[in-house]
Amino acid sequence: MATIVKMPKLGLTMTEGLITKWIKKEGEQVEKGEPLFEVQTDKVNLEEEAPASGILRKVLCDEGETVPILKPVAIIAEADEELPELENDEGPEEKNDDVNDENYMEDKSVEKTSYIDTVKINKDNVSIGKFGKIKASPAAKRIAKENKVDLYQITGTGENARITAQDVKNYIDKTLKNDNLRISPTAKKIAAEKGISLEDIKLSPGKRVMKSHLMEQIKNNLKSDDEVIEEFPLTGMRKIIADKMKNSVNEAPHFYLTAEVDMTSTISFRKKLNLVIKNDEDKISFNDLLIKVVAKALQNHRIINSRIYENKIQLLKQINIGLAVALDNGLIVPVIKDADKKSLAEIAKESKQLINKARNNKLTPDEISGGTFTISNLGMYDIINFTAIINQPESAILAVGKIQDRPIVTSEKQIEIRPMMNITLSSDHRIIDGAEGAKFLRTVKDILENPLKLLL
Amino acid sequence: MAVITYIQALRDGIREEMHRDERVFIMGEDVGLYGGAFKVTKGLLEEFGEERVRDTPISEAAIAGAAVGSALTGMRPVAEIMFSDFMTIAMDQIVNQAAKIRYMFGGKAKVPMVLRAPQGSGTGAAAQHSQTLVALFTHIPGLKVVMPSTPYDVKGLIKAAIRDDNPVIFMEHKLLYHTKGEVPEEEYIVPLGKADVKREGEDITIIAGSIMVPRALEAAEKLERKGIEVEVIDPRSLVPFDTETIIESVIKTGRVIIAEDDCKNAGWGAEVAAKIVESEAFDYLDAPIKRLAGLDTPIPYNPNLERAVVPQVEDIVKAVEEMLG
Repeated sequence: MATIVKMPKLGLTMTEGLITKWIKKEGEQVEKGEPLFEVQTDKVNLEEEAPASGILRKVLCDEGETVPILKPVAIIAEADEELPELENDEGPEEKNDDVNDENYMEDKSVEKTSYIDTVKINKDNVSIGKFGKIKASPAAKRIAKENKVDLYQITGTGENARITAQDVKNYIDKTLKNDNLRISPTAKKIAAEKGISLEDIKLSPGKRVMKSHLMEQIKNNLKSDDEVIEEFPLTGMRKIIADKMKNSVNEAPHFYLTAEVDMTSTISFRKKLNLVIKNDEDKISFNDLLIKVVAKALQNHRIINSRIYENKIQLLKQINIGLAVALDNGLIVPVIKDADKKSLAEIAKESKQLINKARNNKLTPDEISGGTFTISNLGMYDIINFTAIINQPESAILAVGKIQDRPIVTSEKQIEIRPMMNITLSSDHRIIDGAEGAKFLRTVKDILENPLKLLL
Repeated sequence: MAVITYIQALRDGIREEMHRDERVFIMGEDVGLYGGAFKVTKGLLEEFGEERVRDTPISEAAIAGAAVGSALTGMRPVAEIMFSDFMTIAMDQIVNQAAKIRYMFGGKAKVPMVLRAPQGSGTGAAAQHSQTLVALFTHIPGLKVVMPSTPYDVKGLIKAAIRDDNPVIFMEHKLLYHTKGEVPEEEYIVPLGKADVKREGEDITIIAGSIMVPRALEAAEKLERKGIEVEVIDPRSLVPFDTETIIESVIKTGRVIIAEDDCKNAGWGAEVAAKIVESEAFDYLDAPIKRLAGLDTPIPYNPNLERAVVPQVEDIVKAVEEMLG
């Protein structure tokens, strides 16, 4: 069968090549892979190999002729074979979907000025194997296809010069960084006016830079560069908090319920308790009381003490209350295990130890895991109300505000000043419905307003 | 958890099943009085008596045939073949009878039998007592083929094998017999056809079976020091085969080494490689799949040569380093 030899496309930017020499003459026998002719591009000079074996029956372009890529230059066929008719094929222009107007010309000029930085393309590219086929791993081919990357531009670093996935990724990174990107005229103008570096614009290769990309970039520049005082990496505890909070918000549909609690009784209850406690160190804090009250309330609302595990809702046997503790560089939640089974004195002692350990970075993994419900109290910062993000895998968290004297209307329709405290429950709506959350919150409020119920 | 040997775990598994189901019984050459050539069945004669722990004449064809017959009539035999090499003598019973009967009777008859035997080289037992013939059996529809690598797995899998209603070829490895591992006190089963990720890693997947599992894990540890994270997957049973776990891993790492201690030519690793290439994982492969297997030669008697013909830890390390360039 006759084989038509065409002007090869030896690089992304090559549009034509100069035939400097025919190594084989018309009528000569050629073997596939033998050098056939020399071609010079704007970058390199190289020998083009015969794509098939046979007789070089016809040379269509003479030495010294400049030929567009993919245009036939010769025919190799058997000695007695009839030669195919050649259409007057000028060779296809490089087609480009998003470039079809006069602006294209302008774009081309942008490309031309950027030749220097592009990868040198020539037959020394050892990743081009027999028959001009590319040697690339399946993964490399997939990534190249997804990103519309021409594998012929890449020299592989794998075994036998195979192009690996990493090679393609590196190439994509590189082409994004160098200015071998296409840009619409308007975008180009804006970039020049506003002094925007095109390097900063992240696009997949092959895409044109449009006005919208630049506007986006301008917006980002305003946000970041001018206003940053200091940068530090998102690592360690910060990273853990970032990931956990992001996952929680993404995964759990949060809803919030707020109740106002009259703390009169709890305050006097605590006062009386602390009167009988001799050691200052053993005194009971509001947080200790809250832990106890919440644990008690959870006993009657098991659905709040739950988690989602492998598509199932699990109501948990243990009631382990976490207490959010602020640190200089973050936040940690030590856990009081079996808080419902512990006395207030035990809770007070344990929470003091845990908070101390937390501040000294001494908590063990066991002491910060296994929580089933979390309390976060920002009252000491004069916060009245806030909404907390659920500490997954738990299904709810209680945000506690400051105890504050407020005028309220009592059940006897009198205005009185009472110490009030707002508590806000964040619940995971996948597990907990509004009414269930509300009932739990009402129980918490009820116990706080009648703390003797703790004894029941 | 108790730390016990592979043999102990295997024996415990068989013993538990014998207590659970009186149809389960043992037979084989020297399995009773002598306790088995590798002492797997030691003490079971005293515990269960001659009816349920039966010494047989020296005829593997007879052992396998009796197993098929007793399974067909409602028993659940666990037959030991002293060396897996001798299964070749029982091939007609295994291939033409055990594997076929359930199908040929349209599911009305079943053959719940286990044929267990030690395989593999490394003990200086020479060519006729050192083969890994597991690939022969994976090729026969109707047989299940299991190849545990740890005490935990061998116990869980022998129990699953005994409870299975199909003939199961249960391949132990001589060098694994005295390895130790954690085995829970409470009862558990390892289902047939479920691979186990023995070690997680991002850079390369090693699919290893039987004795190659501890070797791959040791290699992985050495490679970790060089910053290479190796994922080690043990298919545990070759039929049925857990393709899913392997595909998932290959998609993650893009690089695969299959480590087997039998001959390379038409070994089970070839089948695994083909399964990967046929799957969606193909587009994620970033290097040719490499099979690390024994040379295509009988196992030599000379200990140096014996060691040289099957892949060792250092061969795995080298292969991984080459692949990651």
